[in-house]
Formats: sequence, structure tokens, C-alpha cells
Amino acid sequence: MQRIFNLACGSFYALGAYAGVSAVGWYVGAGGPPALFIVPLVLAGLAVGAVGFVVERGLLRFVYDRDETFQLLMTFAIVLVMEDAIRMTWGTAPRSTGGLYLAYGQIRVLGATAPVYNLIVILASLAIALAIGWLLTRTAFGRIIRATADNRDMAEALGIDMRRVYAKVFTLGTMLGTLGGALVIPATAAMSEMGIELIVEAFAVVVIGGLGSMRGAFVGALAVGILRAIAISVYPELEMLLIYLIVIAVLVVRPRGLFGAAEA
Amino acid sequence: MGAAVVILAVAAIAAAPLVVSTYHALLMLPFMAYAVVLLGLNLLFGYTGLVSFGHALFIGLGAYTGAFLTTHAKIRSLELILITAAALGALVAAPIAALCVRYVKIYFGMLTLAFGMVFYTFVLKFYRLTGGDEGMPFLRPSLLGLSLDAMPKIDYLVGPYYYYSLAVLALAALAMWRIVHSPFGLCLKTIRDNPTKAETLGIGVTRYRFYAFVISAVYAAVGGALLGPPTGNVDPTLAYWTHSGNIVFMTLLGGFTSFFGPVVGAFVFIYLQNWVMSVVPYWRLIFGAMLALIVIVAPEGLLGLVSRRRAVPAARV
Amino acid sequence: MTSIPRSRRQFLKLLGAGAGAAAAARLDAPPVSAQATGPVKIGVLTIRAGVAAPVGAAGLRGTEWWAERTNKAGGILGRQVQLVVEEESNPKDTVERYRKLILQDQVEAVLGGISTGVTLALGPVAEDLGTPWLSWDGTTQKGVEETMPNPKWAFKSVDNEVEAIVAGILTPKYFKGIKTVAGIGNDYSYGHDCWESYQAVLKRYIPDVKFVLELFPKLGVTDFTSHIATIQQSKADLLMCSFWSGDATIIMKQAAAVGLFKTMKGVFTTAGGVHDSLKKEFTPEGLLLGYNTMYFDDPKASPLLKQFVREYKAKYNEYPPYECDHAFFNAESYKVAVEKAAGSSKKWPEKAQVVKALEGLEIESLSGKRSWREDHVQMCNFYQGITTHKNAYDFVTINPIETISTKQAMKPAGTKLFDWIAGWKV
Repeated sequence: MQRIFNLACGSFYALGAYAGVSAVGWYVGAGGPPALFIVPLVLAGLAVGAVGFVVERGLLRFVYDRDETFQLLMTFAIVLVMEDAIRMTWGTAPRSTGGLYLAYGQIRVLGATAPVYNLIVILASLAIALAIGWLLTRTAFGRIIRATADNRDMAEALGIDMRRVYAKVFTLGTMLGTLGGALVIPATAAMSEMGIELIVEAFAVVVIGGLGSMRGAFVGALAVGILRAIAISVYPELEMLLIYLIVIAVLVVRPRGLFGAAEA
Repeated sequence: MGAAVVILAVAAIAAAPLVVSTYHALLMLPFMAYAVVLLGLNLLFGYTGLVSFGHALFIGLGAYTGAFLTTHAKIRSLELILITAAALGALVAAPIAALCVRYVKIYFGMLTLAFGMVFYTFVLKFYRLTGGDEGMPFLRPSLLGLSLDAMPKIDYLVGPYYYYSLAVLALAALAMWRIVHSPFGLCLKTIRDNPTKAETLGIGVTRYRFYAFVISAVYAAVGGALLGPPTGNVDPTLAYWTHSGNIVFMTLLGGFTSFFGPVVGAFVFIYLQNWVMSVVPYWRLIFGAMLALIVIVAPEGLLGLVSRRRAVPAARV
Repeated sequence: MTSIPRSRRQFLKLLGAGAGAAAAARLDAPPVSAQATGPVKIGVLTIRAGVAAPVGAAGLRGTEWWAERTNKAGGILGRQVQLVVEEESNPKDTVERYRKLILQDQVEAVLGGISTGVTLALGPVAEDLGTPWLSWDGTTQKGVEETMPNPKWAFKSVDNEVEAIVAGILTPKYFKGIKTVAGIGNDYSYGHDCWESYQAVLKRYIPDVKFVLELFPKLGVTDFTSHIATIQQSKADLLMCSFWSGDATIIMKQAAAVGLFKTMKGVFTTAGGVHDSLKKEFTPEGLLLGYNTMYFDDPKASPLLKQFVREYKAKYNEYPPYECDHAFFNAESYKVAVEKAAGSSKKWPEKAQVVKALEGLEIESLSGKRSWREDHVQMCNFYQGITTHKNAYDFVTINPIETISTKQAMKPAGTKLFDWIAGWKV
């Protein structure tokens, strides 16, 4: 929406993951009932998203009137800073919430057993996606965002305060990232440099789905996830390469991605 | 004035092994290799306005070419290695360039990042061919037909290899100077500043970007091949996307608006990193902060600051 | 040959020789005789970022503990130990840090080195710079043969596949009736080498065993749901897993979520590296778990190990993993070698004398006796056992514990791995 590809989105995801682990750790240590661990998790995920506001006001806003590549480079700087900041705060050992997520039990779906927690995350993601969709299409704020994305100067001429819009949008985006990291972490673990590794996948999703389209991101992520799962069952050798093969195929056949806007 | 500075710099670099400590002389080797890479990268960045986030691909390609030739093909001639690296760089760059130059700015950066990571994954995965994470040895190349295997490695590196690298850098710089000051270079600058106008003037925007990309890839591959021998081993991390980010950082640090900016950037980056890494474990944070500062305050880099101070404040680039 | 190429060659030779001579004559060149006074500087290479960072941290902590203890006891030959720490990252940068340690900081020896790619690159560099290098980890079969055939200065860790070999020996002992096996490991040299070694060993004991599935997810993957589903589908009797970092914990958790090990046996060759994250709530009993070369809860632990575990836990609130003993052994063996080489004169020995003293040296390390084989490879014990919940911790430990020496599980000097396994009497 803002025409920035944020290389640091992986780092925000990682931040949410680590924060989620810490929050759950305090919660359990303070004697909270395990079944409700998802509450501090989500709260932590949303709370650290506020870092996005600091980053946007403190760093990114200085480069809006510059060439887009400087914005890209700024996000690279943020990646470097956040990697070490995370390392300084949480150390390098992998962090996890232990077996807490198993507290919700398991469920048999389509002949396979899956932890209920996984389903909760899937439903939560759907809900969030729908919420964002509603925000963009049905609210005034959403209309302003889309107008700005289409034609910033015109929007500004119409009296919209760009700075506040950008701050809000970026912070919202960051929060989604940190929340995502927090939600996923109980089923896995937070590891050093996970943000840097993630960027490649995030990036492939965006290329496949098309830059600038929320629907594209959703479909892209789904496509990548499903295809990868299929590859692992059917042809595991391909697993690592698959994502790139798809990226290249999409680029050759339909360069702007499935739902992308036309290129510059 | 400018020419005198350049000559002085070259003389200083040439004299370095005789004056500074062995370790610092050794640090000049990656500097020279990166300088070659960056001269090419800046053709794309500074002169054509395209930022590639995947050029580590070509660095890796050049390095692996050299490793493969010395280890498997038993070819040690550095001349042959450099030529092959250049040729392969061009060959691999062609289809990638054809695809990527249709886009600009963010899209271009993202696409190049994707291709860079494809190469990284390929090299990492097909370990029977490439050695995977273990990498591949890059045996000591022979210079101008002379096999210098008998020399101790350090003497070889700060002696014959050092001056060979300097010669390659000098030639590369000369060639790039000619390119940049040719009509071709002028077209590139026009495309960078105003693509629509360039098109109306009859300059095929996509075509010229393509050439710039391929040339920059050739430079990156040659630089990559030079990067191999001091380590003695090449490995997939040479192609990882953060390596691409670092070389863009170097370019920005020195200043992409001037010809020698990136070279200065490489020098400062390497020595600064060397110093900071020993002093503090959280050096990445410091470098990230530095990059942010440069982007905000001094986007034209160090050389940009220098020229800004000297000249009358003019319109921003 | 015309005269022009010849003179060019001569010029280049002269230039090279001139620079080389200048390099040798330079003021910074280390003095021919060893420095004998002041603190003894020892270089340490440790990983600070990425998946292996915890391993690097453990190694550094082990070394620091050793240094503190040594200095309290008066240092080495009366000289206090001063650690100079540099970062191990990728091969290219690490070679530069290594050269800095030796040329710039002028350390007496370098300790450390974990990832395979880096240690393979460092080998020839160590040989060239003429300073003892004792590596914590990171060498695999192929590389050792190719790049470090007859090291003079480099001292290599145990062959990495030994834990897979030990697991292969112990599998038929603890798990009867295994007919089909699935394997999962990281997609790099270690993962592949472990799987191949495990297969070769298991085939010696169970000749008609079938290997029905092999999966190699990339190092750093954090989700194995699809992999576990595939493993379940394969209906193998046993799963062999060579994960050694956070991913071991993750796969254990995700496997528990679907009850994988209710119907399948599990062999985790190296997950002991993250042992205190394998919580009882998701790690079942009855798995074969490997702790590499140090098991913190060994009932036969020496007072030294007990003290180390106690102090490590007090300082870091974690229990030490095996890398600590790799580090301690390297540091301590260096110290003992220096003392041995100095003999009764107590004069600081030359580096070459220290190297000679290291060969064949056996010392008391944290986990028991360890030694350097004549060909510069570590000899020690490997600890693996069956997981149990009967302990005072919130994570699993092992009981019974098998202690298998490298004399039995590591290929002898000069042999080829698969030939050696093929020649076993079983």
C-alpha cells in the first residue's frame, strides 16, 4: 500500500515471536491458568507492534520523499539493528513456550490428527484477513488508505494528513507481523536470525500474489503453504527449490503476480 | 586535481604491503576485489538508477567458477579463471537481466533478491556438485603462467597476488571510466533521470538497462573470482541476500554519485568492520545505525559530503 | 619461448620476492623466539549469530570457565591467560578474523571453530600460519580427507558422524523387530553424513532393514507439520533424527501434537545439544537420545563435572550442553601440553614443541578422560541412552546410559569410513 517493500518485516515477525515467548513465560510464572495463555500471547504480539510507530516516525518518514530504493535500504538498516537488538534482549538460545499449546488438545480432521491450537491460528488468520478487508473497503480510514495508494498527491491536496496516515498504516502492518510471529510461536520456537531467513519466503509470497494487493498476499501465502506441504509428501527433494521455481514461473508467465497492479 | 588524487591513491595502495602490517595488507585484498564488484554495481545503481539486491549471485558465480576450475578442471591460470568468470557472469546475467529490467525500483530490487536466493539455494542444495555448505576449495592460482605454489601462502598473498589484483582493479577502473564517459554512459544517465524522455529520444530504455546489468554482472563475477584465493575456499554464503545488501551499503557509504565513491565505500566499510567487530560483539547494530544515518543525512555518501563542502550548494541529485 | 615473457616472469618473481622479503623483514613479524613474559594470549573463535549461536555461546562459556579456573590457580607456567575472542561467521570473514588473531593479536594458539564450511576453510590457513589451532567441532569425512590430510598445526574434533554410528549400534540393542526406518536430518553435510553412516551401521546388524523415507529440511526451518504427516504416512517402525538445535525441540513438540511416537520408535542422535528444552510434557520416554560427548547428569560424573554443572547453572540458569566439554578439553589440553613441553625448565616452549606434546596426550576433561590421537583427532566417549521422566527436572534425561568410546565408534586413522564399517565383525 505504501509502496515500500519492508525487508524488516521478517524481523518484526521475529520480535513478535520472542515477545510472545516472554509474555507467556511471565504469565505462567505468575500462576496464570495455562488454558488462557493465548491472551498474554496476543496482547504481547499487538503491544510490540507499537515498535512500528517508533520506526516509522523515527526513521522511515525521513525517506518518503526520496527514491524508493532508499526506503528499501532504510528497511535493510532496520533489519541489521533489530537482529542485534533481539540478540541483546533475548540471547541466542532458541526460545519456546514449551508444550503449552498442546493444552488445547487434538482434533481429527479429514483423517489426520491436528492440534486444536493450529486450527485456532488458522481461524484467527482468516478473521484478521477478513477484518483487514472490511477495514479497507468499508471504513473511511480504509478509503483514505486506498486513495493514498492510488494517488498520494491528490489525496494530500484533498486535505488528508499524509504523516498520520502513513504512521497508522505502517504501525498496523507491523502489528500484523508481530502478531503473526506471536501466534505461531507456541507451535515452534524462536531462533536467532529467523527474521533474515523469513524474508525470502515473505518475499516469494508477495511476488506470487502481486505487490500492492492484499488479496494477492493472502492467496500467495496459501499457495506457497499448500504447495510446499504437497511437495514434502510427494517429492521432498524439491522442497527448498519449489518456492523459487514457482516465483520464476509466475514471473515468466504473469509478471505482475496473480493480483498485482501493473508495473511501473 | 582529481587525477592527482587517483594517482596518489594507487601509489599508496601499491606501497602498502611494504609499509603496513601483514594483516592490514591482507585486508586490502578483499577491498580490491569488492572495488571491482562495486565499479560494476554502480554502473547499475549510480548511472542507471537501478538497485540490485541480488548481485551477490554473480560474486558467488565468479568465486565458484574459480573454485571449480582449480579443483575439478585442474586449471590454475588466473587469467583463464577471470575470463571464464566474466563469460559465465554475462551468460547467467542475460536471461535474468532480460526479465528484471522490465521493472524498476522496488520490483527490480525484489526480483534481483529472488534470483540471488535461487542461486544460493541451488549451490547449497546440490552438494554433490558444489560441495553444499562445505564449499569448494579454491586452489592457489598461477599468475601470468607462473605457478607460485612453493611460496608460503601469506607471502604469495601480500606479494604477487596483491599486485595482480591491483592491476586487475586498475584495468577494470579504466574500462569502466571509458564506459561511463562514452555515449553509452550518457544514455544510461538520461534513462536514470528521465526514462520517458529517453524513450522519446529513441534510446531503448529496456535495452540499455539490459546492457548495464550484464556489464555489472561481469564485474561482479570477476571481483568474486578475486575474492576466492585469499580464503582458499568458496561457500554458498557468498551468494546470500545479506551479502548483496552489504555491497549496496558499501556503495551508498562511499557515494554513488561519484565514480570512485563505491571504491572509497568498500575501503571504509572493510576497515571499519574489521575494527568494530573486534571491539564490540553487537557490530551489526552499529552498522545498521550507520546505514540509517547515511540514508537520512548523507545519501550521497562520504564523497558526496566532500564535494558538497567544496562546491556551492547546488540542486540535490 | 621469446625473451619478453621470460622478462615478465622475472619481473613478477622479483616483485613477489621483494614483497615477500619485505613482509618477512617487517617489524610486525612475530619474533623467532617465543614471547615468554606477560599474559599468554589465546584466541577464541565463537559463533554469535544464527542457528549455531547457542553452540558457540556454550563453547565460549566453557572456555571462559576454564580460563578463570586456570588463572586462579596461577595461569599457565605462571602466565595469566588472556582470551581474545573473535566471531565465527562465514568462511571468508572467519579466515580474516583468524589471520587477525595470529598476525595482529599474536595469540599463542587459537581455540574454536564449529561449522563445517568454516573449519574446512581454516584448516589450510592454520597450517600456513604455523600456530596451533584446536577445533571444537565441525569436521566431516569428506572434507577432512580433502583439505587436511596430514595436519601439523590443526587439531580436529571427533568425526561428526560418530554419534550416528553410535546410534546405529545401539538401535538394535534397545529396539527389537525394526523392519522399516525413516530418517530426517538437516539438508547439509552433517545431516546427510549422519544418515548415510546410520544406514550403513544399521544394515550390518539388520541386513534386510528397509529405509522407507528420507527428509532433509533446510537448517532453520521452524515448522515440520508436513514432514511429520509424511513420516506418519510412511508407517515406518522407527524415525532417526539428527537435528541438534532448536529444530529438535520443535519437531519433538509437533510430533507430540499428533502422537507420532505412540506408534513409532525414535532415535535422536544429537538432540542432547538442546536437552533442557526437551520438556517432559512433549518428550516421551523410550526414545534413544544422544548427548554427544558430555552428559551433564552422568551418575559417574567426576567432581570436576559436578562443579562445572553447578556453577554453569548458577550463572546462566541453564544446564551445560556438550560443546562446553569440547571447549574445555581443547583449552585444558593446550595448557597441559605447554607444561609438558616446558618440562622441568619451565621455559615457555616453542609452538612446534607444544604441538608435539599434544599428540597422544590424554587428560582429565569435564566428561572424563579425553585424548588427542597421533593424527590430531580427538578421542573421547559418546553418551546416549533411553529417555526417562524419572528425574527432578522438567525435561527428560536418560537412563540407562550407554558410554561408547571413539575407539569403537570412530574410524581409525588412515581408514575410509564405509570400508571400515563394512569390515566390522557383527
